[in-house]
Amino acid sequence: MSVVIPLDEEQRDALQELLNIAMGQAANSLAQLIETKIDISIPKITSVTPAQLYSLLFGSQDTFHTRQSFLGDIQGEVISVLSRSGLSEIAKLMDYSDPLSKEDVEEIILELSNILAGACLAGLSSQLELTTNLNMPTLFTPNKENFDELKWQHSLVMEVQFTVAVSSFSMRVVFCLDDDSLTRMKDTLDELLD
Amino acid sequence: MFEQLVEKLPVGIGIVDENFLVIYLNDFFRDRLPREYRNSYKDTPVTDIFSHQAKFLERRLKSVFVLQHPSFSYWEQRPHIFPFKSSRPITGEETQMYQNMEILPVKDKSTGRKYACIFLQDVTAQASYFRTQQKLSAALKEEHEAQRKLIHKLDTAQSQLIQAEKMASTGQLAAGIAHEINNPIGFINSNLDTLSQYANNLISICDGVENHVTDFNDEVKEQIKNLFEAQHYDLIKDDIEELLEESKAGLNRVKDIVDNLKQFSLDSTKGSQIVELNDVASQTIKLVSTQYASHHYKVESADEKIEIMANPGMIKQALMNILLNAAQAIPDKGYVKLSLLKNSENITIKVLDSGEGIEHKNMKRVFEPFFTTRPEGQGQGLGLSTAYTIIKKHKGKISINSKVGKGTVVTIELPITSKDNSATAPQ
Repeated sequence: MSVVIPLDEEQRDALQELLNIAMGQAANSLAQLIETKIDISIPKITSVTPAQLYSLLFGSQDTFHTRQSFLGDIQGEVISVLSRSGLSEIAKLMDYSDPLSKEDVEEIILELSNILAGACLAGLSSQLELTTNLNMPTLFTPNKENFDELKWQHSLVMEVQFTVAVSSFSMRVVFCLDDDSLTRMKDTLDELLD
Repeated sequence: MFEQLVEKLPVGIGIVDENFLVIYLNDFFRDRLPREYRNSYKDTPVTDIFSHQAKFLERRLKSVFVLQHPSFSYWEQRPHIFPFKSSRPITGEETQMYQNMEILPVKDKSTGRKYACIFLQDVTAQASYFRTQQKLSAALKEEHEAQRKLIHKLDTAQSQLIQAEKMASTGQLAAGIAHEINNPIGFINSNLDTLSQYANNLISICDGVENHVTDFNDEVKEQIKNLFEAQHYDLIKDDIEELLEESKAGLNRVKDIVDNLKQFSLDSTKGSQIVELNDVASQTIKLVSTQYASHHYKVESADEKIEIMANPGMIKQALMNILLNAAQAIPDKGYVKLSLLKNSENITIKVLDSGEGIEHKNMKRVFEPFFTTRPEGQGQGLGLSTAYTIIKKHKGKISINSKVGKGTVVTIELPITSKDNSATAPQ
């Protein structure tokens, strides 16, 4: 996959560093809110085709998906992949009481996505000195055919995984940028590197 | 001017401080406030005014203040955060307002103090529409399913009707044909008998002449000899008997066919009596097993006595036809099993064979009169259709399952009628 990465090594290292900081802030935010320890993986930066994105997002079973678009200096979508397991423990931390109704579960995954995606995007934007606005999250149940019909060829994908220490819950946040935003981001990274 | 605009906006706008105290509410909120808070909402905790969802509001506001990031809530998951009446109190079907909410973090630039701004959208119309659509689609789905089932039922009923119709019309035709053919068969048969007698007489005359040929003078002897030779007497003498025998056999075959046709078109169940099926089964098996001795035969019965009100001749005929088919379906050696089962309503007869099975394309036609896969002259294609007619006459069911190369199972279900119960009681 690394063949088609549209970033040079320096840009990529810089972005990686920025993401590290942004994701750390995001994890802190969530930890503060639910008063528990949260671990993050090292952010992955790759370039994917629609089919690769599909398997990246929907390769595992027993997961929920949400998506959120963001507008501003850079544009794109954040797709969150949340594990079903451990969700009830997180729900307890978020002050929901058992048993969880279908609506409760939906509300929780939308809220979790919103918090993490929001925190990640806010962190990244402030590091890059760009402004972005995140729109509201919605539940996402895609199918393979739709992905095969997507118009783009490659997309830059930034992926980070959050795991909650006290439960089996984990969540991946995947940022996808459109082409214009990629150029914009590269320029910004170059400015920062100078 | 901006303040006026905000007051009149058709969305709810409210601002609370970090202690969740209300700083500002626009008209949308104020018009819907509980009466006791109309004049005293300012500096009151928003969670007191709207205690209904206090816990939820508190959680979301906390998240906005901590994360400085907007929070969203949708009517699908939480339709009524604020206990407001529907926007259509008179004509609307919904009594409570469906709401989407967004809470945004805001900062007063001059003081640096943090606030949260609550946006509330009335989406009752959309929600109502959406729910109606959902109900509609569910109803549609249900209806569709019901229709699908109905169509299937109709299909089955139709094919049953076609089959019954076919059997009935063929039955009538068969009865007519049988009757018509019976007459000529009668006189052909007796004529043939006479003819064979005559032939014998003629042959004896000729033989007599031949035996006494030495008594004639040479000239006559020569003439007689020539005459015999010219007419191929030896050949005729040999052939005539064979021809007559063949004709008789042919006629017998025609008679068989006609008899079967008559059987097939039997149009009454008169002659019903109590039939003990275990006996019928073992008798029939015995008959078939003498004819096809290489197979292994078995009768299985759950009860010692299985009695039913039926026409014994017809039931025997039906079983015989099915058993013969089973035996004939086995190329070399195999087994034929007949099992009898009885429950409170039905008697089930199963005939299982290890024969060649029936090809899928033929399955639909097996009960059709004159349908046969045997070479010409070896089967009339009336066996199963006769069995079918007999079972139907007894208000029973007959079905076939088969796998090519494995074998065939014929299942007969005969109802135990109330007549049967009263008839068996006196015994």
